[in-house]
Amino acid sequence: MSTGASNPEYVNARVRSRRAAMLSDEDYRKLIRMGPSEIARFMEETEYEREINALGTRFSGVDLIEYALNRNLAKHFDDLLEWSEGQLYDRVVRYLRKFDVWNLKTIIRGIYTDSDPEEISTDLIRAGELDDGTIDRLVEVDSIEDVIEILEGTIFAEQLEDAYEEFEESGALVPLENALDRAFYENLLEDLGRPREGPEAKYVEFLEAEIDFLNARNALRLARSGADLDPAAYYIDGGVLFDESDLNRLVGDYDALVDHIAENKRYGDRLSGALDRLRDADSLIQFEHALDAALLEYADTLSSVYPTSISPVLSFILAKEREVENIRAIARGREVGLDENEIEEELVIL
Amino acid sequence: MALVLNSLAENAVALQEGGTAAGNGGPAIEQGAAAALGIGLAAIGAGYAERAIGASVVGALAEDSISPGIGILLTVLPETLVIFALVALFV
Repeated sequence: MSTGASNPEYVNARVRSRRAAMLSDEDYRKLIRMGPSEIARFMEETEYEREINALGTRFSGVDLIEYALNRNLAKHFDDLLEWSEGQLYDRVVRYLRKFDVWNLKTIIRGIYTDSDPEEISTDLIRAGELDDGTIDRLVEVDSIEDVIEILEGTIFAEQLEDAYEEFEESGALVPLENALDRAFYENLLEDLGRPREGPEAKYVEFLEAEIDFLNARNALRLARSGADLDPAAYYIDGGVLFDESDLNRLVGDYDALVDHIAENKRYGDRLSGALDRLRDADSLIQFEHALDAALLEYADTLSSVYPTSISPVLSFILAKEREVENIRAIARGREVGLDENEIEEELVIL
Repeated sequence: MALVLNSLAENAVALQEGGTAAGNGGPAIEQGAAAALGIGLAAIGAGYAERAIGASVVGALAEDSISPGIGILLTVLPETLVIFALVALFV
């Protein structure tokens, strides 16, 4: 953990200005009617200009949009880490390590399938804590064992080493990927304790919500698919919505699971609309989008309640992620020829 | 900040003199010294407030979202507190 004074005022001023420059509902409505190349042109006139121009010669169509989005996301989140100091840095990096997890998964999969380092490199989102030098080294190595060696000293090392033995026995990547996720989520709440009030308490609540929603998502998927998998293997510790025994009991019974989420004091009210739709056996995707929207709305409220805390930064991170996902959904949707209403259902708009 | 510290040091000296005056049955702090103390504290308060505003303004300027003039205006806004505190000198 880094020490020293944190500087929320500076970071928040910058973040709020960038938040204001993001796409509005109007823009989405325009984008829905465009084809991939038109979307790329539209993005060239917004803040994605630099990325589109840099990648325009190498890629085209949906790929161009996709890579430009990833690069822009990485740029913004790298900036956040660069600006913030002290406690603020610690709080921001906890959350942004999820991109490290994403990158490491991509790298491990790439090595597993003997992909070209160049190819792996374009798929990465360089937004996490690991610096570019380390990532470049990781991309170049030939074996997963070397990856673990380079990661020595990071939060992932210990869990990965344990998982590697399992990987050697089974030859499947799942243990390694689970180990990365687990290391990330266990680190998310570490050393934070359970503060009662103020922005710190809300931050912890937010991270818990992140874990809860992940558990809820996994549980719902397992319940829906009826697959015979051990729910405990997917359970992440630290949330307030489920404990391990709850999950084991509820996965078998879909309605009871939905009721369990609805009865929870913290989330029941906020998600009531989404839960009703879920009961009507609508698609799971709708519910997942409602979860995302609820989380985003909540972070927005917090950022007005506690202006000089980490809340505005978190709300920006979430909003940016949603924006990137929305544009990607529109571009991919147009590519495969979905009509406008179908695409609109894929979007998370407040 | 150095200015503020300076005036604090002067206050301390004034306080000590006030102390000897108290031995002779006068007030613990003379009127002038009390006014100086008040102004000094107001300046510390203004400085503390400006610290956060300054940081935000630099952030906002870096993003080009406000003009430098507005930034400077907002930064020195708490300085009005010190001007109000000067009233204490004249009563």
